[in-house]
Amino acid sequence: MSFIKKHIEQEKLNRRNFLFASAAGLGSFAAAGMFGPGMARAAITDPTIAWSYRNRTNPYWNEIVSGGEAFVQSLGMSKDALTHLINEGSSEKALADVKALLARTNGQLALAIDTNDAPNCRPVVEAVAEAGGYVSTIWNKTDDLHPWDFGDNYVSHMTWSDEKPAEETARILLEAMGGKGGVVHLGGIASNNPAIERLQGLRNALVDYPDVELLAAEPADWDTQKANQVMSGFLTRFGDEITGVHCANDTIAYGVIEALRAEGIEDMPIVSYDGNPQAVQLVAERKILATVFTNPHWGGGITASLAYHAATGAFKPSEEPNEHREFYGPTIMVTPEDAAEFKASYLDSVPSYDWADFWGPTNGQIQYK
Amino acid sequence: MNGILKREALVKWAPLIVLLVLILLFTVLEPRFFSVRNLARIAISSTPALMVALGVTFIIIMGSIDLSMEGTVSVTAVVFAFAFLALGGTVLSWAWLALPLAILVGAVVGFINGLVHVKLRIPSFMASLAMGFVGTGFALLLTGGDRIRVEDEVFRGLLTERWLGFPVMVYVAALFLLIGWFIQAKTTLGRNFYAVGGGEELAHASGLNVNRVRILGFTLAGMFYAVGALMAVGRIGIAETATGNNFMFMSITSVVVGGTALWGGIGGVWNTLVGVLIVNVIGNGMVVIGLPGYVQDAVLGLLVIVAVVLSTDRKSISFVK
Repeated sequence: MSFIKKHIEQEKLNRRNFLFASAAGLGSFAAAGMFGPGMARAAITDPTIAWSYRNRTNPYWNEIVSGGEAFVQSLGMSKDALTHLINEGSSEKALADVKALLARTNGQLALAIDTNDAPNCRPVVEAVAEAGGYVSTIWNKTDDLHPWDFGDNYVSHMTWSDEKPAEETARILLEAMGGKGGVVHLGGIASNNPAIERLQGLRNALVDYPDVELLAAEPADWDTQKANQVMSGFLTRFGDEITGVHCANDTIAYGVIEALRAEGIEDMPIVSYDGNPQAVQLVAERKILATVFTNPHWGGGITASLAYHAATGAFKPSEEPNEHREFYGPTIMVTPEDAAEFKASYLDSVPSYDWADFWGPTNGQIQYK
Repeated sequence: MNGILKREALVKWAPLIVLLVLILLFTVLEPRFFSVRNLARIAISSTPALMVALGVTFIIIMGSIDLSMEGTVSVTAVVFAFAFLALGGTVLSWAWLALPLAILVGAVVGFINGLVHVKLRIPSFMASLAMGFVGTGFALLLTGGDRIRVEDEVFRGLLTERWLGFPVMVYVAALFLLIGWFIQAKTTLGRNFYAVGGGEELAHASGLNVNRVRILGFTLAGMFYAVGALMAVGRIGIAETATGNNFMFMSITSVVVGGTALWGGIGGVWNTLVGVLIVNVIGNGMVVIGLPGYVQDAVLGLLVIVAVVLSTDRKSISFVK
């Protein structure tokens, strides 16, 4: 039960830091007041660093936040110095928490956030900009909202486009199939953006392979057991016509592999997405031919770092080109040739990143369709 | 008189007729549906669901409801996988002990479930739903969100080893189906389930310890959920918090479609077998004939209504809430 004790201790500490921060905030508010209201600050020497996200039980967000903590530690602080705002999937709570923290820190805030849904991004950014804080966002943002419309305060937005990486895995698959035969796609929840993009990636690749037929594309809801059943159905419907399987993510691939194993099929070419440790292992064993890793640890760290360094004045966002304000996050293709090396350098031990190299691993400016 | 007899016969056989019509329909649309390979695939996907549905059948016969299956399945699957790997990782070593251990864990969860329901006087749907959440949370705590792979060739033989075209797990499920039938038809406990479901006050007035029957019922259900969890791990080779996903909807739909009445006293394990097969035949058949997934859910929903209309004589029941 020691972890519970530890957790309570941490919460106490966080609360204490929070109270200190609020007291400091009030003090500086009085100081700032002397120069008149609404004056733009050039820099904040010691901003509160906060990450606002869904929850920590989800492995993806756990990785994101571990990156945020690693960044805070790189500044010489304990990782408890990172303020956690947990929205539990509620946009209203995300916004309310940000507003409360802005009030308590008097805008002396470097905020990294996923606003939970796209429409919620505007009120969050406006609240932060109005209070003189600095915010970097990931994933959710409407297409009409841009960092450069907010001067320096809306520092950056990062998202991931899955279409191109999914197209690349599809090409690996289609090559392995010898450029002919039939492929089936097992997708995510039909309305999810990544699910749509990953299927589109396959369709894009198929244009160059006229001898391969897309036999069917069915949603498997990111779920192993559902994928298992859908794949069984495909086997009845198409039998030997299936010569390759394109999966929208790793959890789906696990179900597909087991459905094939039940039929004694061991050498079907399969590709997937996400780069989970287990999938990387399967790539090393050539049970999966490729998966794609999006490096959430780096994403979580760099987003906090961008907001922090803009707040301290280390760089001036408004002087940066647009591709440094809105950009795609990194994607790393994992194939059997490099799976072992990838595992050693990313999964077995977390690499230490240069958190001042903001744009090195990114993938170009966001394109709107 | 003749009219009533016909109606009764229809009510009794409706689920089986629905199943046969569905099989005929899918076979006409796609002859490959009725091949041994595909029937084996339907059997594989039915097996874990059948075990869970058998467990909840006893509860529903009592007129209660149990919604804890997702949590119970997850927690037993995860405990089994941890114990199995810790004890040697193959059925041929001491790791076989993990199999009875999993069933014991299922029984304990079910027993607590029953205690909470009976002793704290919380309605069964609320008590079991809460216990289900506790189970899911506990499974998450144990795994930290990770998946545990069970690779033992002997254990996975449940899926990969085939007799007469069907994997071993199908025969194991058939054995547990017979055990379920035996409990229902040949034991006092089984008859007491019907007594409680048919009229709790009457059963109580006749000197039956209703609370004891209820707690035993939930314990028994927990054991069947554990068997379902073992089958689910056998089928996928992975134990995780998500192992229990979808079992609530699947099992309760199956029980109802099979003709077991939600107000208790009517139905049994054979109805549940037919219900599970109907749900899985639809799931498989839809993919086989190439209908999109979202139509599948809609059809399943409609079918629940049709099955309840066909399989119960609602005139004799005042249950319209």
